[in-house]
Amino acid sequence: MFNININSIIICFKHLRKTLFSNLFNTVITFLIILFIGVACFYTFEWLIFKANWKAVISNLPLYAFGSFPPKEQWRPAIWIISLLLLSIFTLCGPDWKWLRKNLPIAWVGSIPLGLYLLYGGLGLSPIMSRHWGGLTLTILLTVCSSLLSLPLGIVLALCRQSSLPLIKKLSSIYIDVMRAIPLIAVLFFGQLLIPLFLPVGIEIDRVWRAIFAFTLFVSAYIAEDIRGGLQSIPYTQTEAANSLGLNQYQIIQLILIPQALRIALPALTNQFIGLFQNTSLMAILGLVELLGVGRSILANPEFIGQYIEVYVWLASVYWMVCTIMAVLARHLEQRMTINQANF
Amino acid sequence: MEPIVIAKNLTKSYTKGLRALDNVSLTVDQGKVLVVMGPSGSGKSTLIRTFNGLETFDKGELDILGIKVDSSHDERKIQKIRRRVGMVFQQFNLFPHLSILENITLAPVHVQKRRQIEAEEYGMYLLSQMGIDSHAKKYPSQLSGGEQQRVAIARALALKPELLLFDEPTSALDPERINEVLDEMRRLAEQGMTMVVVTHEIGFAKDVSDQVLFMDSGKVIETSPPNIFFSNARHERSRKFLNQLDKHK
Repeated sequence: MFNININSIIICFKHLRKTLFSNLFNTVITFLIILFIGVACFYTFEWLIFKANWKAVISNLPLYAFGSFPPKEQWRPAIWIISLLLLSIFTLCGPDWKWLRKNLPIAWVGSIPLGLYLLYGGLGLSPIMSRHWGGLTLTILLTVCSSLLSLPLGIVLALCRQSSLPLIKKLSSIYIDVMRAIPLIAVLFFGQLLIPLFLPVGIEIDRVWRAIFAFTLFVSAYIAEDIRGGLQSIPYTQTEAANSLGLNQYQIIQLILIPQALRIALPALTNQFIGLFQNTSLMAILGLVELLGVGRSILANPEFIGQYIEVYVWLASVYWMVCTIMAVLARHLEQRMTINQANF
Repeated sequence: MEPIVIAKNLTKSYTKGLRALDNVSLTVDQGKVLVVMGPSGSGKSTLIRTFNGLETFDKGELDILGIKVDSSHDERKIQKIRRRVGMVFQQFNLFPHLSILENITLAPVHVQKRRQIEAEEYGMYLLSQMGIDSHAKKYPSQLSGGEQQRVAIARALALKPELLLFDEPTSALDPERINEVLDEMRRLAEQGMTMVVVTHEIGFAKDVSDQVLFMDSGKVIETSPPNIFFSNARHERSRKFLNQLDKHK
């Protein structure tokens, strides 16, 4: 054991000497870069540990997590977030039991009604209005609800765009083109400010839901294009083989084309969902107090005035963590699907 | 002897008057094996693909298992035919996202509405007949070409078809893997399966077929029993083709 370690260290050193210190010029450059990294690290850590005042972060942790959710009821969003975290861990490191793997997607989809029930209340829990929702909870809620709604809508749009009926084909491609031509912030403004004007008096859609619908309409156009790419890369012989077995058009789409298209489009879809997660921060401008909105309202408090850097560094690291979890989950899913179909 | 396939004057033309099929007529009786030969582009693939509606035709009539189809290409009738006719392709065309067993049980479960367990049992039986039941849980990309093609045959057999169509089933295979597929086809022929086979395998055609149909530029040049076709073909064009094939052996 000890021998192996020494050996590997020697190999490592030889490798370093060959690559980084092969001549005087390289050696100078190597030392300069090491110096630069060292100085940068030193000042960063010095600021993080000694200079920064983390009071604006530490004393407001529940606010970042749950917004203005009533303190007595904050265990409800806490349970939801923890269950999502546990579900992620289970998906990544859980045992390879067949029944577990079969039911995990159901658990993921089921986590959304669970979250809505815990937030809304009712049926034994005290009801809480959506204007009290906030913080990371609201950010995650916006992301998962919009993702889950935009995926089927995107699939339908992609299929319509491939349709042989000219009217349907035209309509869906117009929709996709228009949505891709409008900036997201305009769609969100439309959802927040204009939709209430169009609705008849007495009918009111929750602000959170208006945001979710706006995100869904926007993202589904992009998802549709990703899935169309997947559909187009499936060779026509797959459809022929399915035809020769007597499967009908609907079955071919559902059993042969969509599963393969989703697998091919998965990396692009991951991109869309991570982008969606980050774009939920635009809602801070439009008056929803999600994660960034909480940060802004804390900075508006005279007690924490001027602590911009601390708050934004903290927010960035939270966004980074959630994005990393999403990316790792997506990679895991990709690997599980790739094992089965290395090349086709 | 009941005819399974009756084609009358099938004609299909592409634009510019090119004819993929030119007045093709033929009959295949139950339990018989028809081998279709011809140079590439002669329309032999197009011909057998009309039998299960993968290709349309402009003129003529087709009677498959008593179901009559004409150039109007009635979708319902074609669906009926497809449930009773199996097809094996040159490139196997297995579904890469499904396991071997799922590939085989897909159509029985979703088209014939059989129970999953029943379909799996029959699928395993078919795989064990071909000696590849140990691969049932694997995915197509993990199998060799010969194995994939045998899975494709099992997939076609899972619907208990009354007619099997083979579109150059060994052309995409390693020379060493060809026999494992041909042996499977021989076994099916011995069991009395009615088959139409597009192939260049002369040995298979000699041993197994009841009739050889030779095509060139969409026309049927001749239809003969294999012993006559290979030893003493009636047409100059057929002899020329066979000479070419011999040179390549």
